[in-house]
Amino acid sequence: MAEMTRRDVLKIAAAGATAALQGVIPSPAHSQGTQKRELVVAQGGDVAQFDPHMSTSSNDIRISFNLFDNLTSRRPDGKLAPGLATEWKLQGQTTWVFKLRQGVKWHNGDPFSSADAKFSIERTYDPNTKMRVNTVFTTVDRIEAPDPATLIIHTKKPDPLLPARLGFYGGQIVPKKYLDAVGPDTFNQKPVGTGPVRFVSWTKDDRVLLEANPDYWGGRVDFDRLIVRALPEMAPRVAALLKGEVDLITQVPPDQGERVKANAGTLVSGALYGGLYVLAVNSKRPPLDNPLVKQALSLAIDRETIVKELWRGRGVVPSGPIAKGDNHFDASLPPLAYDPKEARERLRKAGYKNEEIVIETTAGYMAGDRPMAEAVQAMWRDAGVNAKVELVEYSVRAQKNRDKSFKGLWWSDPTSTLRDPDGMMWRLLGPGGPQDYWRHPEFDELGNAARFSVDEKFRADAYRKMTKLSLEHFPWIPVIQPYEDYGLQKHVEWTPDPLQQLEIRRFNFKFRRA
Amino acid sequence: MALGGGVFVVLLVVTALAAPVIAPHDPVRQSLRARLAAPTLSAADGKAHVLGTDHLGRDVLSRMIHGARVSLLVGFAAVVVGGIVGATLGLLAGFRGGWTDTMIMTLADAQLAFPFILLAIGIIAVLGPSFPTLIVVIGLSGWVTYARVLRSQVLVLRSREFVDAIHALGGSVARVIARHILPNVLSSLVVIATLELARAIVLEATLSFLGLGVQPPTPSWGGMVHEGREYLDSAWWISTAPGIVLMLTSIVVSRTGDWLRDLLDPTLRGE
Amino acid sequence: MHGLLPFLGSRLLRAAVALWLVSTVVFVVMRLSGDPVPLLLPPDAPRSEIFRVRAELGLDRPLPVQYVVFLGNALRGDFGRSIHFRQPAFRVVLGYLPATFELGLTAFVLAALVALPIGVVSAVRRNSPVDQVTMGLALVGQSAPTFFIGILLILVVSLKLGLLPTSGREDWRNLVLPALTLGAFAMASIARLTRSAVLEVLRADYIRTARAKGLSEALVVAKHTLKNAAVPIVTITGLQFGTLLGGAVVTETVFAWPGIGRLAIQSIYNRDYPVVQCTVFLSAVLFIVINFCIDLVYGLLDPRVRSS
Repeated sequence: MAEMTRRDVLKIAAAGATAALQGVIPSPAHSQGTQKRELVVAQGGDVAQFDPHMSTSSNDIRISFNLFDNLTSRRPDGKLAPGLATEWKLQGQTTWVFKLRQGVKWHNGDPFSSADAKFSIERTYDPNTKMRVNTVFTTVDRIEAPDPATLIIHTKKPDPLLPARLGFYGGQIVPKKYLDAVGPDTFNQKPVGTGPVRFVSWTKDDRVLLEANPDYWGGRVDFDRLIVRALPEMAPRVAALLKGEVDLITQVPPDQGERVKANAGTLVSGALYGGLYVLAVNSKRPPLDNPLVKQALSLAIDRETIVKELWRGRGVVPSGPIAKGDNHFDASLPPLAYDPKEARERLRKAGYKNEEIVIETTAGYMAGDRPMAEAVQAMWRDAGVNAKVELVEYSVRAQKNRDKSFKGLWWSDPTSTLRDPDGMMWRLLGPGGPQDYWRHPEFDELGNAARFSVDEKFRADAYRKMTKLSLEHFPWIPVIQPYEDYGLQKHVEWTPDPLQQLEIRRFNFKFRRA
Repeated sequence: MALGGGVFVVLLVVTALAAPVIAPHDPVRQSLRARLAAPTLSAADGKAHVLGTDHLGRDVLSRMIHGARVSLLVGFAAVVVGGIVGATLGLLAGFRGGWTDTMIMTLADAQLAFPFILLAIGIIAVLGPSFPTLIVVIGLSGWVTYARVLRSQVLVLRSREFVDAIHALGGSVARVIARHILPNVLSSLVVIATLELARAIVLEATLSFLGLGVQPPTPSWGGMVHEGREYLDSAWWISTAPGIVLMLTSIVVSRTGDWLRDLLDPTLRGE
Repeated sequence: MHGLLPFLGSRLLRAAVALWLVSTVVFVVMRLSGDPVPLLLPPDAPRSEIFRVRAELGLDRPLPVQYVVFLGNALRGDFGRSIHFRQPAFRVVLGYLPATFELGLTAFVLAALVALPIGVVSAVRRNSPVDQVTMGLALVGQSAPTFFIGILLILVVSLKLGLLPTSGREDWRNLVLPALTLGAFAMASIARLTRSAVLEVLRADYIRTARAKGLSEALVVAKHTLKNAAVPIVTITGLQFGTLLGGAVVTETVFAWPGIGRLAIQSIYNRDYPVVQCTVFLSAVLFIVINFCIDLVYGLLDPRVRSS
């Protein structure tokens, strides 16, 4: 029930967004208020890059999505809203026309125009700039800026998801004139954007200081200063919240949620992660090349107990490889089943000869990775699988990821960057993708066709078939779709984002004033 | 004191050997529904979780008892490895002298000149954590003391010139070592080995605490302290119980070493 | 001064060789630990991109060439650019050094401030309950694992009593627990050393004379013993420096203290070769310099040392 309430709140917040844009805020009806003009946020790591095209890490994008704007804006409710582009439409199959917002100024006073937008998107895939987001706009053929208020993007093939791509990382618009003048290094140290906050200073391993952009086109934010502190350890982060030193913290583990809730002035607020936690499978390694074995592994996982006990209920059992909340998520599919007897039966049918099956897990790369790996190992052993857990460092995981040399299974937390299966299952599992360990002609054909089709009915059908195939062959064994929990002071009104952004624009953040 | 120390070590060895018999529960058996349960004496089936359960619902006492195996196995084996390497290099340095001596002693200097734990972390990161890796790395961290003692003993004997005399008369080096060197350094070696055992056990626990010890689900004391860290405020028993046993072991073993030193070899005091 | 220069010369030579050995071992181990490039790029980066970044970092050259380049640059104080921080590694390490100095110095001062009076009192009140309790604690401090002392302090002082923060580096309150943890071993050692030094002095003839002259016990102890106890304490500073740095690695990890120990561990995991090499090189230099100074002091004070 608690979840229902929160989702309702979420809807209301979204509905209020338009009103908030005009600066009309409904008056607070709560007892706990504050006089604060300063928002203090603590996250699990320091900023590494301010240049938005240099990073995809959540610690960086929490800041860069507020320093910069995108042409389109992905809201916490999952919907795509206008950003620096006020409207867009598809002409023919491959030509997208964007009308740009007028009168917008960069933090240094320069006017924003279509030249900046063209420059920004081209910059991401220009081989000379060495950007970290160089795979986001591979569908783009060429870009035109016929006048300051118009941007035309031609794609190589039909790309129904272009507006979605523009709304996430890689899509932040950067200032051409300033960047040309100061160069990328200075820009990375003294970023200038159009976003609701401006950069003031950065103390490494400690804090970033930002101030409100008074002229923000979406309305001035509800504070004067934003301080983002780096508190990598969970205990001090929670302690800082409980003591009232900070207003908002990221990454509250389920076992700490009770403490935050029990405290008088604080609460936990979560967003269902826009993605899944899965055990990815190296289907080339026997016996994992046998679908029956993988079906047995999936059937032997008691996901409900993992969600209920290890996650204290802060998650849902997935029904397939598409995350709840995404386009084409099939609500009629049942949660993945737990049936250890059937698992033994399928192992027998598969002719499983007690070969060792290895889970390579990191400790802390993803929330709960190691304890979940150990829990799954115990469940598999109970079902007669010779399961082994090996701890690997992040660096080893990264290397194995690149060499595609995992021994068996490993944790992956695929993010649904476009809130569409194309940006998740097809991006990662497709041919040549980072998790290309299994091929099936029908799966490949459907994935390709769905990527380049602008017919949503056709796409829905394709993803339904692909889901069915993946539940037979299990290139991923989905385990949980967790909540991303944040700790808040009760005087903070804010909705968390499923894709780990920190949306503090007027429509999504305000202090309850005393 | 000495008696107490001896009894403690014997008890520990017996515990480690008989762990499967003594431990009330299977140390790797999970029960997610009973996770983070506080220590209690009451139990429905007569098998209480006397020291509570951990974050996966495993019995802390049973894991602690089995953890003694890892500590002692790695500890003793590392002492043997360190002793063999140290003794060989020490004897070599002493007998050969000259360049060999200089090189070996410079190597010793170099090793003492920076925190070995960084090298240990680097090596384990390369090879991956496993029993043999741990034993060799921890063993290599402690060869210097053995080498120094043996080397100086050889130098003392050589200064008396009778070693060279034996040599001249056709006596083998092995014979010199067995007859004249080992008896003289045996008590020192026993003392060093005891002190090294304490150090090796602590180093293994430290590496396990840093997440570089034996692989899960095998329980080790340092690893248990590490696992319990996240739950210090809600389930303090996960970390404290194995930590206290580790601390006791370290104190008792190193005290026994001190005592042996005072008894057998007062000249080592300055080391 | 006869014989001092050759003595210093041979010490210096050995120190240089030790430094070279340390750098070489670290170089080899770090290169074996694998490729840092996958950590820098998104998982779907194309192969060409990986080769380009590798070439940019000079990692495509043969290992012996990389080694010669590394040694040549290290001699000039250039350890290359940090792969993770994209800054000169030396500057990165320098940035973290003050925190470690702050912690190490506080640990040592705290240890001395607590341990000296305890050592003196234990000696003067030999075999009293005070002596027995403090010396018992000193034994614990000398053999307890650093990480567990830290965990116990966090549990009792921070979580149960709520007196001090668990980690981070903001004001003096953050410094107390890590300094106690890191200083525990030194504190215990100094207390025991002071006690035996004072005991020895108390037995000496001139003390008895002083007493016979009617000087007060406190004055006698203060005047004669502390001076004598200072020497072993100085010695222990030098001898324990390596231990202290090793301890800093663990202590900084337990308390999330942003010093070079924690930086070194994280850089090993990040495969940030330049930073690891620079950290190890700097700490080895520090260790060698400090020991060299101690040798020098001894050499000046006591000519007999030179011959040994």
